[in-house]
Amino acid sequence: MAKKILIIEDEKTLRFLLAQSLIAAGFEIEEAVDGEEGLKKMRENKPDLVLLDLILPTIHGFEVLTQIKKDSSLESIPVLILSNLGQKEEIEKGLKLGATDFLIKAHFSLDEIVEKIKKVLSL
Amino acid sequence: MKNDIFSKKIISPEKALIVIDNLNDGLMVFDEKKKLCFINLSAQRMFGVNREILGIDIEEMTNYPGLKEIFFLLGKEIKELDKKELEINKDMVLEVTSLSLFKEEEKLGYLVILHDITREKTIEKMKTDFVSLSAHQLRTPLSAINWALDTLLKERLGKLNDVQKKMLEQAKESNQRMLILVKDLLDVVKIEEGKYLGKLVPSDFLKIVQDVIKDYQEEIRKKEIQFEIQLPSKKLPKVKVDPEKISSVVQNLIDNAIRYNLRGGIMVISLNFDQNNLFFSVSDSGIGIPKEDQKNIFSKFFRASNASKLETEGNGLGLFVSKNIIEAHGGKIWFESEEGRGTTFYFSLPLK
Repeated sequence: MAKKILIIEDEKTLRFLLAQSLIAAGFEIEEAVDGEEGLKKMRENKPDLVLLDLILPTIHGFEVLTQIKKDSSLESIPVLILSNLGQKEEIEKGLKLGATDFLIKAHFSLDEIVEKIKKVLSL
Repeated sequence: MKNDIFSKKIISPEKALIVIDNLNDGLMVFDEKKKLCFINLSAQRMFGVNREILGIDIEEMTNYPGLKEIFFLLGKEIKELDKKELEINKDMVLEVTSLSLFKEEEKLGYLVILHDITREKTIEKMKTDFVSLSAHQLRTPLSAINWALDTLLKERLGKLNDVQKKMLEQAKESNQRMLILVKDLLDVVKIEEGKYLGKLVPSDFLKIVQDVIKDYQEEIRKKEIQFEIQLPSKKLPKVKVDPEKISSVVQNLIDNAIRYNLRGGIMVISLNFDQNNLFFSVSDSGIGIPKEDQKNIFSKFFRASNASKLETEGNGLGLFVSKNIIEAHGGKIWFESEEGRGTTFYFSLPLK
């Protein structure tokens, strides 16, 4: 069965490009435009992995991550932060809050992101 | 010669006092027993005190907000300081200078000069915040362009003809350059904020170098560079570095050695170590750095005249950033170059 990825990303263009690429790689895609919708969709559909942006409307990505890790039904789902922030304090904070990895959008090609996801899911 | 300006009545002591009181800088004088014997108006205003404070011992300064911080900086002994930055509180940053006062051989006491740099600091912070914010904002559309071009170039959405492919490749290359510029700008801002290095971890330096070379295989082949790597007979010891930052220095130096080399030129990378340091060098047989440009080569945004003529690419930040990274590790970076013959860049990293 295809693995399910939830993309939490407010930028329409980025979401579209990510989704295209992940579908082409054989994943099933779920999208959320902000943190609230992301948490809701996580609880409903239990994805295999979450791509999480940080600068999001309403709730900041770090807060979303904190809530994921507090929720026993969600905490085991791997979260990859995919953001254009990337100062060392932000990276350290993300990892400390329990993110599996921190990818800076501008420095990763779509293929590299797909590879990263496959690695995390041991595919 | 003693008290010349007073004895010749150029200025009376009363007038001199008014001048001193009205200086923008705060002045405090301690006598040889380290008791406060003078404080000018500016200094009184900085800390909300008046002349009644005169006569207190330096250690009693801990009873006054603001002066307390000054005391902690100066210490009981009243250290000599040259323009030391001190944040008194959120709204006041001072530059503190202190020196001993002598009359002939006899020590009279100590002078402390307080220069208010709050405004400069605020502007500096605004500039930093502005650059960080705009750099982050720039990255989002740049990522979108990058990914869109990626998708098209993968031909997932349909076959491209050769011209289309070439055009998209060039667009991607330009976009990459923009991404590098944004990254370098962010690095410069971080360097200027003084918070740059990540965690130092014992790292395999040879592997860092090899990984960078791997990324340049294609360029080396395209430009027909004759490439050689020289290693010591003994295994390199691990070195404590921020691997990502050191990797970007190596990348920058190798990139320059290829970019400013001639077609079919030579590039030699050499690694070595002694008891105290690890050494890296990369030589090329390229255009070299003109003599008059050599002193500026590590300056921000500087590019050698022959380099900018030859290549439109390059933003003049690479060596500035590299120098800062190496020095932040306690290492040194230097070069030898002759115009038209080639350049060798060296750096060392301490092993202890």
